[in-house]
Amino acid sequence: MTNDNRDRRGALKTIAAVGGVIGCGALALPSVRFLIAPASGGASAGRWIKTLPLDSLREGEPKRVALIADHRDAWTLEKAVELGAAWLVRRGDAVLAWSVTCPHLGCAIDRSATGPGFNCPCHDSAFDAAGGRLTGPSPRGLDTLTTRVEEGFVMVQFQRFRQGIPEKVPAG
Amino acid sequence: MLTLRKVVDFIDERTGLRVSLAAWRDHPAVGGAPWASAMAASVATCFGVLVLTGVLLMTAYAPSPQTAWASVHYVQFVLDRGWIVRGLHYWAAQALLVLAAVHVLAVAFAGSYRKPREIGWWLTLLVLGLAVAEGITGGLLPWDQLGWWARVVEGNIAGLAPVVGGWLQAMIGGGPELGALGLDRSYVAHVVLLPLVIALALWGRRALALRQGWTDAAATPGDSYPRQVARNALVAVAVVFVVFALTGWQHGAPLDGPADPFSDYPARPEWFLLPMFQLRKFFHGAMEFWGTSLGPGAAAALLVLLPWIAPPPRSRLGPVLALAVFGGAIAMALVARRHDAHDAAYRKARAMADAYAVAAARLAMNGVPPEGALAMVHHDPELHGQELFEKHCASCHVLGDLGDEKKATATKLDGWSTPAWIKAMIHDPDAPEFFGRGPYKGQMPSVDVRPKEVPAGQPWTPTIKNEAEKDAVALFLASQGDEPGDPPRRADEKVVALGEKIVSERCSTCHLYKGDGDEEGSGDAPELAHFGSIAWTRAQVANPSSADTYREKALSEELKKHMPRFDKELSAADVDTVARWTRSHARAAR
Repeated sequence: MTNDNRDRRGALKTIAAVGGVIGCGALALPSVRFLIAPASGGASAGRWIKTLPLDSLREGEPKRVALIADHRDAWTLEKAVELGAAWLVRRGDAVLAWSVTCPHLGCAIDRSATGPGFNCPCHDSAFDAAGGRLTGPSPRGLDTLTTRVEEGFVMVQFQRFRQGIPEKVPAG
Repeated sequence: MLTLRKVVDFIDERTGLRVSLAAWRDHPAVGGAPWASAMAASVATCFGVLVLTGVLLMTAYAPSPQTAWASVHYVQFVLDRGWIVRGLHYWAAQALLVLAAVHVLAVAFAGSYRKPREIGWWLTLLVLGLAVAEGITGGLLPWDQLGWWARVVEGNIAGLAPVVGGWLQAMIGGGPELGALGLDRSYVAHVVLLPLVIALALWGRRALALRQGWTDAAATPGDSYPRQVARNALVAVAVVFVVFALTGWQHGAPLDGPADPFSDYPARPEWFLLPMFQLRKFFHGAMEFWGTSLGPGAAAALLVLLPWIAPPPRSRLGPVLALAVFGGAIAMALVARRHDAHDAAYRKARAMADAYAVAAARLAMNGVPPEGALAMVHHDPELHGQELFEKHCASCHVLGDLGDEKKATATKLDGWSTPAWIKAMIHDPDAPEFFGRGPYKGQMPSVDVRPKEVPAGQPWTPTIKNEAEKDAVALFLASQGDEPGDPPRRADEKVVALGEKIVSERCSTCHLYKGDGDEEGSGDAPELAHFGSIAWTRAQVANPSSADTYREKALSEELKKHMPRFDKELSAADVDTVARWTRSHARAAR
């Protein structure tokens, strides 16, 4: 084999390798972006949602309310559907609100069948009447949502939080 | 004449088909372990059934949150023989999972995981892992409660993974919430990517088995056909028979209610993930990720590294370790099942979910609107009425199975406004099922029992003197609530007229009747005209202080535990729906 021929083979190998990397990379980059880009949606986070009149809440007694607003899922826009739900508890003229989504892995929290607090039907996390963590795998207490009373109605600021971590961090 | 032989000759001449087929049939390399080999054939059989039925299902399935459940319901309940195809697919999938696990055990017992058969062993494990992945991705496709909630939890678990968690969750779910893209991705993985890899793994597994034999036992030429092929065929027929039997027994496959993201659903994973579910209960807080990933991770690593962990040719360690892994998983799953079977709250929630599934499936027989199955459920007066009652009424009232007798603070509604209910009510208004648990206790006197304040011997006249009069009042008041659609009531007009006379003359001392009455002005007792009608019930739900039923005093401070008004928190349509639902179910209940 001549030197010339060897150089030629080396150059061809380099061309094949570089071409392969560029070609595959050019295909891979948009493909990966395509897959991991989140769907549109979640724009509903942070929105104030009108719920019940304050009068309809009894002092200290938790009530579950639907949080109803428009919902965007990829290409679909649904008008006035349940984005989520919250437990409301009246304390005088103020209202406490907790997201019904379990901070552990996202099941819907229900009132405890036996005590004054709440529990999760999936992994048996239990919370006290103030939303604090009692037992079970949940890493934190129930997530509070911001509320205010406007013209006699309880307004709740809708928000999702990351599940399964001790800190309360907005999701998305 | 063109015969089959000529056709085959034509093909054989150009492709060498006969030689290839003979080589495939008569390969001599199957060394020992005929049953381990037959297990591979059973896995391949299940896979074949799944591909066939899967392609058929794809011709009728429409993956989107609006259409997925409806199309699966259509396949299961409407399409001719749809339930058979879906049932075969579902049960072949369960069988594949079981057989892939048994296959792993059989190979471990045959010792065929050691050098030089490591790669074949890994392919066997890979098929099991991919079968689990197929189960997970397939479980979401019906977009029912079961699959949807399982995926929400699984997605959140994926999100816990260090570093890549967020990405992984976005890739699986298609966004911060599980939606249309998440379903599409599951679908593509389920019908294209995973089957492709499984097919490659099965093909590689077979190629290696042909090259190396299953064990080191001496290969006998001709062993493969007919001996091994007959064994394989026997196992394949048995598998198909069992899958058909399960399909027939269950009439297809289960379908839970349409996914409702805002319901209280007691989410549980697919049965093959129950061990992980149970494990999760043992590790809390910061330990959770490590506890629940290291355990199964270690078990998987143990199997993968078995060729090095248990290498000596006659070691029984390999099979024992493999048995320990699967035995442990089965034990954990059984503990999880047992826990649920003894959990009253879970069983109640499960029973309600089952009732929802049955009701939705029945409703969908009339067709599902383009907005989807969940919208169908939400717009159905029967299902939505019950849901509204559960959410807004059952915290105080009891009706049938809904509400809690121990926590109730208001009237039990079973039989409300029927003659029997009215007759019992006016005799003992303070009984627990009437006013006894609420703020109206002591407000209404019995019509025929001497009040405690009036000692015996003092003159006292009952409002209603005898049974006949009580029956007349009960019949009259019950007929006040009758609507054109109600079952006809056999009522003597004279008796009804007597009832009306008594009500207008004697009850109106406190009650309103057609807007008149309550001479003493107490403002306590409600309007009796059209009591129990749709309009009366609707007025009571919307605003129990409007004088159409009770009056202003009903919402006063001293009676603040009285029924609240719902016209501000519910739309007029929802008030109407829940009023009609409650009225019809109360009057039908005994």
